[in-house]
Amino acid sequence: MKIQTRSDGGIQIVTVIGSADVSASAALREAFLGAIQVGTTRIVCDLGQTDFICSDTLGVLITAYLKATKRGGFLKLANPQQHLKEVLETTRLNCLFSVYPDVSCALADS
Amino acid sequence: MPTEASKTDDLGAWTEKILPTDLAGIRESERDLLARLAAVGYDEDHRFAVRLAFEEAMVNAMKHGNKMDPSRSVTLSYRVSPERVEIRVADEGPGFDPGGVPDPTADENLNKPCGRGIMLMRCYMDEVAYSSSGKEVRMVKYRQP
Repeated sequence: MKIQTRSDGGIQIVTVIGSADVSASAALREAFLGAIQVGTTRIVCDLGQTDFICSDTLGVLITAYLKATKRGGFLKLANPQQHLKEVLETTRLNCLFSVYPDVSCALADS
Repeated sequence: MPTEASKTDDLGAWTEKILPTDLAGIRESERDLLARLAAVGYDEDHRFAVRLAFEEAMVNAMKHGNKMDPSRSVTLSYRVSPERVEIRVADEGPGFDPGGVPDPTADENLNKPCGRGIMLMRCYMDEVAYSSSGKEVRMVKYRQP
């Protein structure tokens, strides 16, 4: 798994490339929680190139979401492909996260 | 070091591995299992489902069963036929009652970072059954057109 980050209008865009499996959760935790810790609390996670996710990494996203929103920010999900979309629906996490069809839509709604 | 054995019954050959409690060690078995699924023609949806359930079962066994104790092992068994894949994962923990796990899809649990593994296994596999001790889970996925 690879993580790429960039900033757009004060919003951090975190792109997760590959499999967000249990072996990736530490790196994801560092990417999200590290950013929040230094005050970057407006985050969009781009899942367009993420081919797998597990409950462990969902837990990382939830923890980051809670920390970001507690500090007045947000964590939005963008562009989940079919399998990830189904996982979000199965877990009902699409009711917790705001999920957008692409990063542009997520940014426009921020 | 993991140990590996193979035995056969009328439903096909079992691969059995005794793995140390080490999350990094899951990957090799996962790759082997997915390669076998691909070799007999399981499609991407089936492979995603089995991968997800497999990872959840292994992580549960190591984290919640064995409490990441490196002196404890996980016994993994699986067999793949063109019709179905069957996986068994046993840990050396005290066991648990799967019926006592809160529903992670309930509104009050949506923001909890843990507790989704068993639900995902049940949703993505066709059969999921725990032994009476709660130390072993058996999962089956049938290949459907």
